[in-house]
Amino acid sequence: MSKGLAIIGIAEVPTKRDPERTRWDILLEVCMGAVRDAGIDKNQINAVISPNPMAQPEMQNDMALGKIPEVLGLKGCRDICITNAGGASNTNCLRLAQELIDCGQANFVLIPHTTVQSDIPPADLINFFATAPLDKQWEYPFGVSFNGSMGLITNRYMYETGATEAQMATVTVALRAWAAKDPNSIFYGKPITLADVLESRMISTPLKAKECNFLADGGGAMVVTSHDIAKSLGSGRHAYKLGHGTRFMSATPFVREDLFHRKAYRESSQDALKQAGLHIDDMDLRQIYGAYPYTQCSALEGYGVCKEGEGASVWAEGRCGPGGDLPCTTMGDATGRGHVGSGVSMAFYIDTVRQIRGEAGARQINNCDNVIVTTSGGSVMNTCTTVFGSEAR
Amino acid sequence: MNDYIKPLPVIQPHSVEFWEGTKQGKLLIQSCNDCHAPMTYPRKFCSECWSTNLGWRESSGKGTVYSFSVTYEGVEPIFHDDLPIILAWIDLPEGVRMTTNIINCDPDKVQIGMNVEVVFKPVTDEVTLHYFQPST
Repeated sequence: MSKGLAIIGIAEVPTKRDPERTRWDILLEVCMGAVRDAGIDKNQINAVISPNPMAQPEMQNDMALGKIPEVLGLKGCRDICITNAGGASNTNCLRLAQELIDCGQANFVLIPHTTVQSDIPPADLINFFATAPLDKQWEYPFGVSFNGSMGLITNRYMYETGATEAQMATVTVALRAWAAKDPNSIFYGKPITLADVLESRMISTPLKAKECNFLADGGGAMVVTSHDIAKSLGSGRHAYKLGHGTRFMSATPFVREDLFHRKAYRESSQDALKQAGLHIDDMDLRQIYGAYPYTQCSALEGYGVCKEGEGASVWAEGRCGPGGDLPCTTMGDATGRGHVGSGVSMAFYIDTVRQIRGEAGARQINNCDNVIVTTSGGSVMNTCTTVFGSEAR
Repeated sequence: MNDYIKPLPVIQPHSVEFWEGTKQGKLLIQSCNDCHAPMTYPRKFCSECWSTNLGWRESSGKGTVYSFSVTYEGVEPIFHDDLPIILAWIDLPEGVRMTTNIINCDPDKVQIGMNVEVVFKPVTDEVTLHYFQPST
């Protein structure tokens, strides 16, 4: 029996706001693209595991109830499943795919995502992000938006660490610098300056408009298989999953003891690194999906890359952006890529594969062999940390 | 008072007493009579020991600001008249943290650690919300 998980096929559509590009347009393009990229036949796909397309109930029904293998004519498909962990849904897709592979139920699994938010009224999107991950009794009646909730955490983070607004703003400048070099980002070719961030409209203190998420449309797909099968396929490099750890904290932020997730980042990364037989210093790239700048700082503190409270200064020193010695989040995070609902984590994994393959273009990290990726769902209810490498161990 | 259009709390059977309390000008904190754990919000079972032997005690209503965020935009239109909204997490001496708004306060004057006290505002005949304001 062939075990482990490797990502052998990827496809993505550029992130943008375009209601003319339908959910199914995106879905078909990325599914066929990922299967072709993997170099296999469509009928070799044994299962389709999808992240829940948040806030899009009709698409949710299509994906949950089997339309994808039917429309694509996947004659070898034995199983379908949908997962919902908000932004971390794709992490659950990978974990479930690995279980099917490990127990011999599947050789190849297709993981497709699509999100269109540009045809949803803005007030409905605000409502969704304010009510789905937050509390309708204890938070929502007080006008708490998702940005407001993250503003509350960020303010406390800055209070405890002494990080300045300018230091925090450098995170977004660096993320946008990566994004400006990424043809799949909504901000491709659009870098911004520190002044652009600091002078943008105040949304929920201390978060300014450029530090908040831009809701957009996008999609991606991955084809995954076992380590052994991946080794036998193609001449290129694959992203081998070497270890994983997850820590759950809480559904709602105001009850969260580990408010900046440092403990969760530390423990989940230590689990993943231990399984991989690697150390955090062995990582060539850190991909952090937190969607708000403080997470890019506290993750470094939790990983043990820097001391507690120094994450913002590491970003401010320019070490995490292009040309830095500690490259982080070449995917740009949701602030740099555009927030594509449950697909942000998909974009993170696809970018990780590109980096390991050496296909990240102007964002390519030299000799990128080992990558640590952390995703989170809901209001950062959890940290899901995975170590990928260019070789199976 | 019945033209209130903003979202009302989705009240559950085990939180009815809390909302009855706010109508009477009382901030009630639920805690476990068996293990004495305070509940961060009312529950059917104690989240520590799963006991159903839960009770209520009245908070002094005096707390401190653990964090805050002044919202200037990005809320649904039904909240637009309230902008800017001072969102706050208040730590109460009874050992719980609450999400609320600070009212009667200049948004530029809010600080973490600031002393605040509860103030009740009836918004409908059925619901009175608990806000906080700088301590007098």
